[in-house]
Order: sequence, then C-alpha cells, then structure tokens
Amino acid sequence: MQCANMLLRKIVRSSVLPFAAQHGMKKDLFPLNRPLSLSLCLKQDKACEPSEKLDLDEWKKVMKSGLQEEVSETGSEPKEPSSLAAARETLEMWRLAGRAVPENISEEQLKTFMECPSKSAKKKYLKYLHLRELHKKSHKRKMDEKRERRLEEQDQASDTDETKKSSFLFLPSSTMEKAYHWRAARSMIFGQPLVFDMSYEKEMSVREVTNTVKQIVMGESCNRRTADPFHIHFCNFKEDSLYHREFIKHYREAWGKLLITVTDQCYTEIFPKDKLIYLTADSPKVMKKFDHDKIYIVGSMVDKSIKTGVSLARAKRLGLETAALPLEKYLLWSTGAKNLTLDQMMQILLTLKDTDDWKKALEFVPKRKYCGFVNKPVKEVKKTLDLINALKLRKEREKVEKRFARNHPKQYTLK
Amino acid sequence: VQPPEKPLQAEEWNKLREDFQLPELLEEVMLNNMIRCNSPIDVAKSLLTHVAKRNGDIAYNVLVKYLTLCVQQGQVSEIRDVYDIMKVRFKILESGAYNLLIRGLSNSDQWRMALTLLEEAKKIMIPSRTCYESCIKAASCHQEMKLAFELYHEMLAKDVVPTLDILQSFFNFSRGMKGAELQKQLFGILLYLRENQIYPHKTFMWSIKLWFESIPGGNWRGNLTKIKDSGQCPVCKHQLEDSNLTEEEYSNLSERIIRDVIHGTDTFRKTSPEEFEAFQTFVENRLPFDIVIDGLNVSHIKSRKMQCENLSDAVNCLAKENSRLLVLGRKHMLMNSSNWKREIMKEMQNKADFFFAENISEDDAFLLYATLRSGKHCRFVTRDFLRDHKACLPDSVTRHLFRKWQRGHQIVLKKAFPLFFSRQPALRYDCVVQTSGDTWHIPYKDVFEEKYSYQVPRKWLCIQQK
Repeated sequence: MQCANMLLRKIVRSSVLPFAAQHGMKKDLFPLNRPLSLSLCLKQDKACEPSEKLDLDEWKKVMKSGLQEEVSETGSEPKEPSSLAAARETLEMWRLAGRAVPENISEEQLKTFMECPSKSAKKKYLKYLHLRELHKKSHKRKMDEKRERRLEEQDQASDTDETKKSSFLFLPSSTMEKAYHWRAARSMIFGQPLVFDMSYEKEMSVREVTNTVKQIVMGESCNRRTADPFHIHFCNFKEDSLYHREFIKHYREAWGKLLITVTDQCYTEIFPKDKLIYLTADSPKVMKKFDHDKIYIVGSMVDKSIKTGVSLARAKRLGLETAALPLEKYLLWSTGAKNLTLDQMMQILLTLKDTDDWKKALEFVPKRKYCGFVNKPVKEVKKTLDLINALKLRKEREKVEKRFARNHPKQYTLK
Repeated sequence: VQPPEKPLQAEEWNKLREDFQLPELLEEVMLNNMIRCNSPIDVAKSLLTHVAKRNGDIAYNVLVKYLTLCVQQGQVSEIRDVYDIMKVRFKILESGAYNLLIRGLSNSDQWRMALTLLEEAKKIMIPSRTCYESCIKAASCHQEMKLAFELYHEMLAKDVVPTLDILQSFFNFSRGMKGAELQKQLFGILLYLRENQIYPHKTFMWSIKLWFESIPGGNWRGNLTKIKDSGQCPVCKHQLEDSNLTEEEYSNLSERIIRDVIHGTDTFRKTSPEEFEAFQTFVENRLPFDIVIDGLNVSHIKSRKMQCENLSDAVNCLAKENSRLLVLGRKHMLMNSSNWKREIMKEMQNKADFFFAENISEDDAFLLYATLRSGKHCRFVTRDFLRDHKACLPDSVTRHLFRKWQRGHQIVLKKAFPLFFSRQPALRYDCVVQTSGDTWHIPYKDVFEEKYSYQVPRKWLCIQQK
C-alpha cells in the first residue's frame, strides 16, 4: 500500500512539474493570462486521472508557480509619497486578512489615518470608513434598483397613458417651499427666538462637530415645516470656523439664503439677560412649562466622551437661568444619557410651543431610552419601577450567560 | 460544520461545498472550525489543495488561517513553507501574519528566524508586545540573555508595555547564572515594577525568590511573610518605607489637584471662581485642620437614621483628642428639613468648622484641597473612592501619587456598631517593591488578576542577604 502511494505521488508530481516548468518559460511571453491557463491544465490533468491519490503539498506548488509574474506585474504604481504608499499597502494587506478596512481610500483619509495617535484609534477610523463605504454602496444599489423600477413603470404608463388625468390640483414641491419660506420670513419678524450657542467647537472632535451640524440641519428643516416656526439664532458663530465649513458643505449656496439669524455676538448682547434660559441636562432646575416669552438657548454640542457640566458652566459664567427637560418626571427612564440630540430638542420645543402637552412633546425622546410614560410622579410608581429593573437585571444576566456560553463552549454545560 | 477527520478528495470537497449554505465562505468557516477543533494538519492541506486547484490561487486570509493551525500545532517546517509562499506572493505582510510567524518560529530550533522576522515587521509597524514576548522568551531560553535584554529595552523605548510573562521569563532563565551585569539588569526589572506600581503574581514571585536564592555566592534567603501594621517586616525586622510623600511629590500633587481637578478646563464646571476664592480664604484663615470630613457622604452612612444625626455621630466620634475638624457640606443642609434639623446643625458647628458650598458645586474637590493644604498629617473622611477625581489627573505618575496619598490619608468607616472610624488610615507603609541594598521587599498577589486599583496586596516576599 505504502509503495503504491509513493508511486502514485511520484506520478502526480511528475505530471504537475512539467506544467510548472513549461509555465516558467511562458511567463515571459504572456505574463497576464497565466493563472487561468494553469487551472485549465490542472483540470485536464485531473480528468485524465480520476482515481489519483491526494498530494497534500500540491497547493504549495500551485502557489509558488502562480506567483513570480505577479511580482513583475506590480511595476508601475501610482506615484505617491513613499510613506503614504506603504500605508496603503499595509491597508491592502489588512483588507486581504479580512479586517474592517475600506476598499478605496483617498489620500486625505490616508493622512488622517496615519495621524491617528494610537493603534485603536487607527482601527476605529478604518472601521468607520469601512462602514461608510458599505452604506454608500448599498444606498447606490437601492437607488439603481429604484430607477430601474421607475423606468419600467414609465414604460407601462406610457402604454396605458391614463394615470395622468387626475382630478387633484398639481402641487409642485417648489410651491410648498415658497409657503415654508413665507412662514420662516414671518417668524424672522414676529417669531419667538431660539438660540443655538455655537461656542463649543474647542470642546469637540472633528467628527463631533460634523454630527452637530448634521443634527442642526435636521432641526432647522423640522422648524421650517411647522405652522409657527422659531426664529433661529446662531450665536457666537465664528466666520470660517469648522461649524461654518460644515454648514456650507450641507447647504451649499442655500447657506446665504437661509431664513435664520447668524451672528458672532453672544446671546447676552442681543437679548435681555432675564429672558434667557439655558437648556442643559445638568441643570438642577426642571422645566415645568414652556414659556412663550422666554428665549431658550440650546448648546450646539455633541458629547461623545463624557464631559459633564460644560454647558452648565457656560450658563453659570454668564449668570443665566438654566433648565432641564422634565424627563425623570414624565418618563420611566431606562438607559442612555439624558442629553438628547439637537433635532430631538428642536422637535420637543416645537411641539411644546404648539400644544403645551408634555406627553406629545416627549414622544420625540428615543423609545429605547425609556420604558413608559407616567402621569403620576415616578416616586408613586416605585413598585412598577422595581419590577422593571428586576426584569431588566434578569435579561442582562441571561445575556451575559449566553455570551459566556458562546465564548467557552467546552466548559459550559447546561444543567 | 464539523471538519472531516481525514483528508478529502477534491470531489468530496466539492460535494461539501455544494451542501454548504454559503459556498464562497466554506474555506474560511471550515478552517475556523479546524482551528477550534485542532484538526490534523493534513485535512487542512487537502482543503488548500482543493482550493488551489479550483481557483489557481489561495486567498491571503485563508493562508493566515492555515498558518494559525500550523502555529497551534507547532509544525515548524510548514510555517516556514507558508512564509516562503507568502513572501513571494505578497509584497509585505500584515501584523497578524507576523505575529503568528514569530510566535510559531520562536518555539522551535529556528528561533533566530523569528528575530529576523521581527526586524522585518518593524519596518511596517511597531511590533506587538506578544511578538516581543515570543522573541525575548526564545532568546533567554537559549541563554542569550544579552540579546533578550536588548529587545526588552527596545520595547520599553517604543512605549510597548512588557507583559508580566516577559519579566518573569528573565528571572526563570537567569537562575543560577553569574555576572554582575545580569544582576544589574534584573534589579532594573524589579525597579521597573516599583516605578509602575506593578505587583507580581504568585508564580512570578516564586521565580524571583528562586532566582535570588540561586545567585552563586549571593547568600540570599527569601521568606514569605505579612508586614505588621507598624510597617515592620517580621522576618528581617526591617522598617518598610513610609507611605508619606516626599516634599516634592506632595507639592507636585497639590498643585496638580488644584490645576486639573478643581479648575480643569473651566472653573465653572465644578465651582465658580468667587466660591473657590471664598473657600481659599476660609481655609487659609483656619489652617491647619487634622481631619476633613465629607459631610454629605458621611451623612448617608446609616439609611435608617436622620442624615444630620449620622453626621453628628461622626463628628462626635472624631472630635475627641482635640483634633481640629472641618466639615464640608452644601447650602441645602442649612435649610431646616426633615433630614437636617437646625438645632443639631447649630450644635455641630460648635465642635467643628463648617464650609457650605453651593448646591450645584462639587464638594469633593474642596475636600482634596483642604486636606492637602493642611499638610501631611491631615486626613480625610469619605467612603468615596474618588475615582473620578483620579481620572482628571493627566498622567499615570500623578495618578499613582494620588493613590498612594489616598491610601495613607483616607479614613474609612469600620463596620462596627456604634459608629467607629479607624483612627489610622489603611496603611502606614508604602506598598511597592522596595530595597535597602541587602534586603528586598516585594508585595505580591495571590491571583493573576488585580481586581481593584485601590486594593493593595497584603502578602510580601522578604529577601535578605546573610
């Protein structure tokens, strides 16, 4: 048996080697089409000998033979500074190794990557880029599908040609826009001011500033669409700051036509101090009612690392009144920080302004953060709260156990 | 999927592949499972052969997975083959592959190759500490102590924190070896432990002990012991280092506390400039205090009692022996309420100085300031671990100083009835590796993991030279 094996192995080897050698000569002539021809050869080879014994090291030969010309291929690289090129190569290897690394990376992103101070920062940045790339791709795919579907529908519609005749009046979106602008213009004269304090740029990282601007843009569009919008003020707004650049990125040429007030002045210079109320989650005072005569200030800050008391400090310094939303009073809080995003704040304030109904307004608090709405003070529903906490605890424990079971499959046995 | 037990033919792999839900992932999933089950390497080879025949190429991540399996089983010649293939196939390798190669080769007689690989890896990245660990262990295992120490110093220079295993291996492999240079290097490691407040675990401690006792002509003897509360070692009668900070350390720490904890980026975040100034003049006029009490924290000791009663118990308990007390509180304590009775507060104010901060200010920062300002003898009472204040300090050196100072100056409540505060803080001696030339005292942990940063080991290794 052993002898037979040896013999077979020899046969196989001798049948592969010539191909490899042959290939070695060919490579100078046809450097590009080699791998294809090799696999073809191998398949033929197999077809001739259906009952061969396995040669376990055959893959090595394939790999070794398949490779010389790949090195020669990579002669003309795009010209980049050597450090950048090296980083690009490392990234490519990481991608091949199956790490979360984007496929395409611009020179600017590569520079940001290299400037990351630590290994984990690099990893995080790459993962962010990778996820963004995936999102973009799937978005593009969806858009393409949609377009195709629409084209198909149009084809069908042109066949029948009846759907167009509708009894409804045609209302183009530009008409709606015009109406919104009218309202916004009115609010600039008669509306209640709402201040965004843009003085937190130093406290934030670049990504936090980007997120802040995104949230404000969302809030602004909500405001524009309501029946009675706020007159939005951006105070302490510095020309050519990171905020400014990000806003221009979002609004493009519309930035100059926006119906809001942008100023580098502080809110204390524009409004009387006794009318200002700084909204901050750290405030010891809880807001009871929405006051239509006051001017509320919202700090434009996204705080991903925990910096408590930054906006409270600002209000203290200026001697302003502060207030927090009565989240504890109306909601059975479950997880998450009490600070809400700026667009959520905007929607809550808009709803309060229109309806004065806390329940409706606090609908905009993310559902994951609370268990339910209470009409009575939280103290009175303590029992329910304890029950919920106990349930939560049990769920947590089960989760931990499951995770443990997954990580230690051998030690863990259910009894 | 269960990996097969024997190498499979191409057709069999093909069939498996067809049955698998995600055919394109079969190799990866299969290799992962092989790594988990530690399958024979031949099975993996047969899979690779199948892949190579099918695609004419093997993806990098598949190769790395195969490499993992080889390293796991110590297949040195395979590791070398894979390296050769990778080397020609790819311009550079990434860190994962280097880690594996270095780990795999360092355990074999080809360990020198691991060193050349380490050099290669350095070109594209800072090698991980496990890379260094493998190489250092390999070098010291082959009695190349000089080389091992070179690598060790290199990693320190690159800010790579050495694993305890590296440090331990130095002691393990130097056992019985002679040489003043070597001894100096190992003492250097002990001092590294001291500077970074690292406590060796039990097996590491044994390595240290055995090394000391094996020094030819050194006459070192090691004993396991517990240090007395007075700070004296029961074996050699040597007095351990005091837990007090030096003048320089002390002034450095108080400066840092004022700058980074109280003021931070914005004084308004914890207090306000007016309030801090008022507090400063208040403290300066009444210095020095013996004990500073965190009023609010102490008032919550017993939940059944009224908060002001708790506080007055504590003040009464600590007010003996004419010590000067300072109680820090907030303004709301002065409002007559169900928890804070005005008469009791009045009575207490005769026995101790009180400072009431604004309700939204942080009183802990004032506690630290008043204690540090009063001098080295002053201690403070709170059950708080002060972690968030430690976290405000910017560098690890100052944080260590803070912990040391805290250990020596914080009074905690003994769980006894009635209220009883241990008059002495936790430790009067400093819990770090220390030497007096002919003695070494090394605290060690029973278990490998250190659970809490505020806990210090109570067991010691005493080494003395006869």
